[in-house]
Amino acid sequence: MEAWMKKAWIAIGFFVLVVPLGILVTWSYGDAWGEWGSVSDGNTTWTPKEYSGGAPLPDYSIPGWENKLMASVGYWISAVIGIIMSVVTVLGIAKAVELWKGHNE
Amino acid sequence: MHIPDGYLGPLTCLVMYAVMAPIWWLAARAMKEKLGDKSVPMLAMLTAVAFLVMMFNWPVPDGTTAHMVGGTLIAIILGPWAAVIGITVALVIQAFFFGDGGITALGANSFNMAFVLPFVGYYVYRGMKKVLGDGPSSEMIAAGVGAYAGINVAAIAAAIEFGIQPYISSGYCPYGLNLAIPAMAFAHLTTAGPVAAVVTSLVIGYMRKNRPDLLDAGAAPAEG
Repeated sequence: MEAWMKKAWIAIGFFVLVVPLGILVTWSYGDAWGEWGSVSDGNTTWTPKEYSGGAPLPDYSIPGWENKLMASVGYWISAVIGIIMSVVTVLGIAKAVELWKGHNE
Repeated sequence: MHIPDGYLGPLTCLVMYAVMAPIWWLAARAMKEKLGDKSVPMLAMLTAVAFLVMMFNWPVPDGTTAHMVGGTLIAIILGPWAAVIGITVALVIQAFFFGDGGITALGANSFNMAFVLPFVGYYVYRGMKKVLGDGPSSEMIAAGVGAYAGINVAAIAAAIEFGIQPYISSGYCPYGLNLAIPAMAFAHLTTAGPVAAVVTSLVIGYMRKNRPDLLDAGAAPAEG
């Protein structure tokens, strides 16, 4: 791995450490408008049919880890898992594309 | 702007998947032709960055939250087609493992965040650079304005998709365009847009100053 890329991954690692800020600074806020379970226009709240995909870590949290500390740990774990999956998936796609390329030549 | 399941009617979901199919194919073809040994690890890393920045939620003055996406950043560094791949990968992981964004809505979410966002961001960036000329400060301004434009146009696209539901599919998102567009525009004009502009501008400015070779490697694949 090139030196600059190592540095970049270290910087990413730092942001992973502080990623719980992403829920802590918005703890008392509602969700993003139009995302997640329900949406409100101020007077009425509408809830869509429940999400049925059975996501293992819904809302980037480990079910039951509700308080600020445990939710932060769950969020942190979610970030690490998400990053690993992102890297593995892109490398996998690149590999598949490479095979496709080889096949055409 | 991750639209969950249950907001978009079946017609909209199908149309958005149908629109995305050729875009995904073109992105895979562009990747086949242009991504090399250097840019693949870069795309893997930037996809991880996009996943991570989307976890940084910021408070919006109206009581909701918003986050940046990172699509314009990838588009400037590796070209908009690479951004289609990277952001789509992040969205698929978010939908299936974290319940963020619906699975039926994945076509629509990909259209907004993995296609509209990076392409608008990228071409606004290019246009701004033509106007401002070369140089580190014009590079940073162009990157910031591009990121700001990209995320806001994408947010409006999402708002239109669920805002038209009351007119075409009953039982889904009940809020029409008159509510959806202002709500989405407010969150992204005030919060997600400025965050995206500052972050994109700083990263691109840093790269231009210290490693311009990494930026120029991605500039060429933009055509075609």
